[in-house]
Amino acid sequence: MEREVVPWDNPEPLRGPVGVPLVDLLDRVLATGVVVSGDLVIAIADVPLVRLSLHALLSSVNERVPAPWADGGPL
Amino acid sequence: MTDRETEQVSAESALYVFAVCRLPDPTAFAGLPGVAVGEALRRLRFGELTAIVQTVRAADFTDEAWQARMADRGELERYARAHHDVVSAAAASCPTVPLPMATLYHGEERAQQALLAETERFLAALRRTADHSEWGVKVYTAAPAVSVPARTRPATSPGSSRPTPGAGLAYLERKRGAQARRERRHEDSLRLAETVDAAFQGLAAAGRRLRLHVPETTGTSHVQVLNATYLVAEHRAAELGPLTRALQESTGARIDVSGPWVPYSFVGEV
Repeated sequence: MEREVVPWDNPEPLRGPVGVPLVDLLDRVLATGVVVSGDLVIAIADVPLVRLSLHALLSSVNERVPAPWADGGPL
Repeated sequence: MTDRETEQVSAESALYVFAVCRLPDPTAFAGLPGVAVGEALRRLRFGELTAIVQTVRAADFTDEAWQARMADRGELERYARAHHDVVSAAAASCPTVPLPMATLYHGEERAQQALLAETERFLAALRRTADHSEWGVKVYTAAPAVSVPARTRPATSPGSSRPTPGAGLAYLERKRGAQARRERRHEDSLRLAETVDAAFQGLAAAGRRLRLHVPETTGTSHVQVLNATYLVAEHRAAELGPLTRALQESTGARIDVSGPWVPYSFVGEV
């Protein structure tokens, strides 16, 4: 798994490992996983409005995808 | 949501659930900030499984708050990476089922009750993904997207004895040519995607196609023709590199592989 936690140059409190492109991360953290119904936000990726604004956002993101193997993965 | 619930949301704390694990090691995620300031990540036992949770301000996680967050790329990225950090750290210490970003409950009791009801699905997901990892595969066409409209000479219409076919016909044939080239490119892309997908499916336990990324998000002028993700047994992960290189050689396409990921994409269908 993405085991190595690299300091992320961003304000506290949140940080994260660098190297995983945001688009790939969103493909996974938003839409998948075991969908259980939470109390406050119910499966956000299933809400059409959210999906719509997310799509608009992603369309305008100029994400730089690193070259293959740039993550220093095991391959 | 009732008025009473709305009041609770503004006044109370909520419980953010990152993942569900079997016997997680608390030191694995001790140093991570999670998604809230000043609140430690902790374990919440329910039945035979354990959730990784954090107390957050409910007001920070209302629908409106998320809508605003979604519209702010920086914020969205911070939360996505924070969520991913915790999930990854948990998965490094024990078998883990990641939950989607922003799964929240009103409190510990509610969370335990809701998660306990899903125990069978969590166990099935753990069985399915044990000793497996997820690998992302993105394929781009060899040629950049820019199409140089080659000026094809209009073919002389067979059997025509008239001196010039006229501008109208030439235009029509040029259009037909462009259309044919577009269709050919489209077919080539589909074939390329099928070829690569079939090859990876051959060594994967399962595979899923994800939405294609629009060119603006890929940082390349090459067209993405496949965005897929595969559940691969750990003992077969070493085959991914050679397979990728062989496919790149035989197809001429650019193939990006990412991973190993916590199997986000393969815990929801059980």
